[in-house]
Amino acid sequence: MKIQSRRRLASVTGVALVGTFAISGCGSDNNSSASPSAGAAKASAVDCAKGTLSGEGSSAQKNAIEQAITDFQTACPGATVNYNPTGSGAGIKQFIAGQVGFAGSDSALKTKPKEGASNIEQADADKTCGSPAWNIPMVTGPIAVAYNVKGVDKLILTPAVTAKIFDGTIKTWNDPAIAAINPGITLPATPITVFFRSDESGTTENFTKYLNTAAPKEWTAKPAKKWTGKGQGKEKSAGVASGVKATDGGITYVEWSYAKDNNLGIAQIDNGAGPVELSGAAVGKAVSAAKQTGTGNDLSLKLDYATKEAGAYPILLVTYEIVCSKGKDPAQAKLTKAFLKSFAAADMQTKLQEIGYAPLPTDIQAKVLTSVNALS
Amino acid sequence: MTVADLTSGSSLSSARQWRPELGLGHRSRAREARNLLARVVMWTAFLIALIPLAWILWTVITRGIGLVLEPVWWNNSQRGITSRMVGGGAAHAIQGTLLMALVTAVMAVPVGVMTAIYLVEYGRGRLAKTVSFMVDILTGIPSIVAALFIYAVWVTTFGLQRVGFAVCLALVMLMIPVIVRSTEEMLKLVPNELREASYALGVPKWKTIAKVVLPTAFSGIVTGILLGLARIMGETAPLLILGPYTANLATNLFGGFMATLPTMINTNRVESLQPAIDRTWASAFTLILVILLLNLAGRLVARTSKVRN
Repeated sequence: MKIQSRRRLASVTGVALVGTFAISGCGSDNNSSASPSAGAAKASAVDCAKGTLSGEGSSAQKNAIEQAITDFQTACPGATVNYNPTGSGAGIKQFIAGQVGFAGSDSALKTKPKEGASNIEQADADKTCGSPAWNIPMVTGPIAVAYNVKGVDKLILTPAVTAKIFDGTIKTWNDPAIAAINPGITLPATPITVFFRSDESGTTENFTKYLNTAAPKEWTAKPAKKWTGKGQGKEKSAGVASGVKATDGGITYVEWSYAKDNNLGIAQIDNGAGPVELSGAAVGKAVSAAKQTGTGNDLSLKLDYATKEAGAYPILLVTYEIVCSKGKDPAQAKLTKAFLKSFAAADMQTKLQEIGYAPLPTDIQAKVLTSVNALS
Repeated sequence: MTVADLTSGSSLSSARQWRPELGLGHRSRAREARNLLARVVMWTAFLIALIPLAWILWTVITRGIGLVLEPVWWNNSQRGITSRMVGGGAAHAIQGTLLMALVTAVMAVPVGVMTAIYLVEYGRGRLAKTVSFMVDILTGIPSIVAALFIYAVWVTTFGLQRVGFAVCLALVMLMIPVIVRSTEEMLKLVPNELREASYALGVPKWKTIAKVVLPTAFSGIVTGILLGLARIMGETAPLLILGPYTANLATNLFGGFMATLPTMINTNRVESLQPAIDRTWASAFTLILVILLLNLAGRLVARTSKVRN
């Protein structure tokens, strides 16, 4: 019995050990053959740093940062960047708790206390960092008003009508209010199904900001990360997009890339100077009109949602990376700087256009690079 | 007719009156009908219970098998693969899941088994009752509460990072009660005669437990441990709260993010692009496979290590 039990013990541990080592031994991080688009020529343009950097936050910038991470890691094999798209609110919370190296957010850190709270995001973040936390705009993502109505390929919306659709006042697609601004388009009597983000989202905040600014009479609710209008809640950008895709008569607000990926109809927005189709150039026009509200290297931007400039697409969000201006850990700070630098680089920004983002306008991009270079 | 005949006849008839199924020599129609009915109900219930299982397996296998059959899936991580690209594998997630399960088991198994030994072999009085009650409470703790508790201790109180080891701690809380309860049942099944025979030979109690009781219950204990492992490997709540996903291979349980199969499923789930959807199903299938393999391995260990008399 003694020998047996020893043998037994040995076999149990043996199976466990062999199993673990067999698997941990042969795993590979090298997927380079699967990514032919990553050019070797770019490697020279990137300052490399080693280590692991983790970020968390906005799902609106997920596709963009995923691309940036892939290219950065290809250029710098010793570096690893993780990004967890759990939403802007969660990202800021984790950043303040010191859990991540940077936060991705669709809105800059608040400098005033939120309703019902006494703490100030900016102050909390500064305290965690031990130095001012900076908001660095990295990507601009237009928010598409995406719809799925059988037989309707073109749709024009004004801020007032959009607000009425999303607060449930307009209930069917052939409502006279929609028909009046869409001459020559046959609209069916299909009921309108509004899909909204059920999680706390920067997209919701920016979209409601737009409605509140451009149609203040029709949309009186305060802009917030939580949806206050009517409709069906779905989780994350992909959730609302697939909801609309599956529902005839569905409409939602979602980042451009998700609307494109799901082949949804995208409404043209008429802010008063004629309908504007969503395009990179139309977004760039609106972003360059934005004003900087942060001081110095803190580049918080204020967008003009009510802009009446011809050819400017007004519904957009700027997604920021929130970082400590002086990192506590020098190695981490160096890696953060290297990564953000490659993210803000002109060729990376142009590349983002292919996946539904708009590049930063040149003047803002220059400012971003100055800020990133000032990180230490 | 005799009196005896009369009485037996009357008793027979009264028996027939009360319990007609006792009629001897011939099968009553009512009995057959009831038997058939019970059989039909039983089989229908069995088939109904089988539907979701077969459906799940069919869906997961048909949608996930394509990627799982590729060797890349088992060898590579998702590093450098965006959600619009095909390629990459689940090696990082499989490795993370196994590593966490192993560390959890290393912590939970000794505590669980020893608690069960205490409860069955030694525990008397108030302390044993309290321990047993506490195990009951642990069994009732939802996984998300265990995760939040560890988050409160690990992150909020001690200010540490979210790492793989914190996930393991939460999983230990979920695994211990499963092991205690199953081991307890197995130890109770060991016949008292074995213990008494051992004592009669003058073997001390601790030696009896180590050499007689535990080996006899060994295969049952292993099965219980594997059930516990299967439960925690598919657990998602602690991972969502304490173990953020990464696309890279990671072996450090005390620093950095670590991927696991459940979080890999969850990350790809929210995507709308086909490559990510395929990866969702493939990782779900992989998780089922890994747990299945583990169960088979456990069965094998249990079978080869049966006590031979």
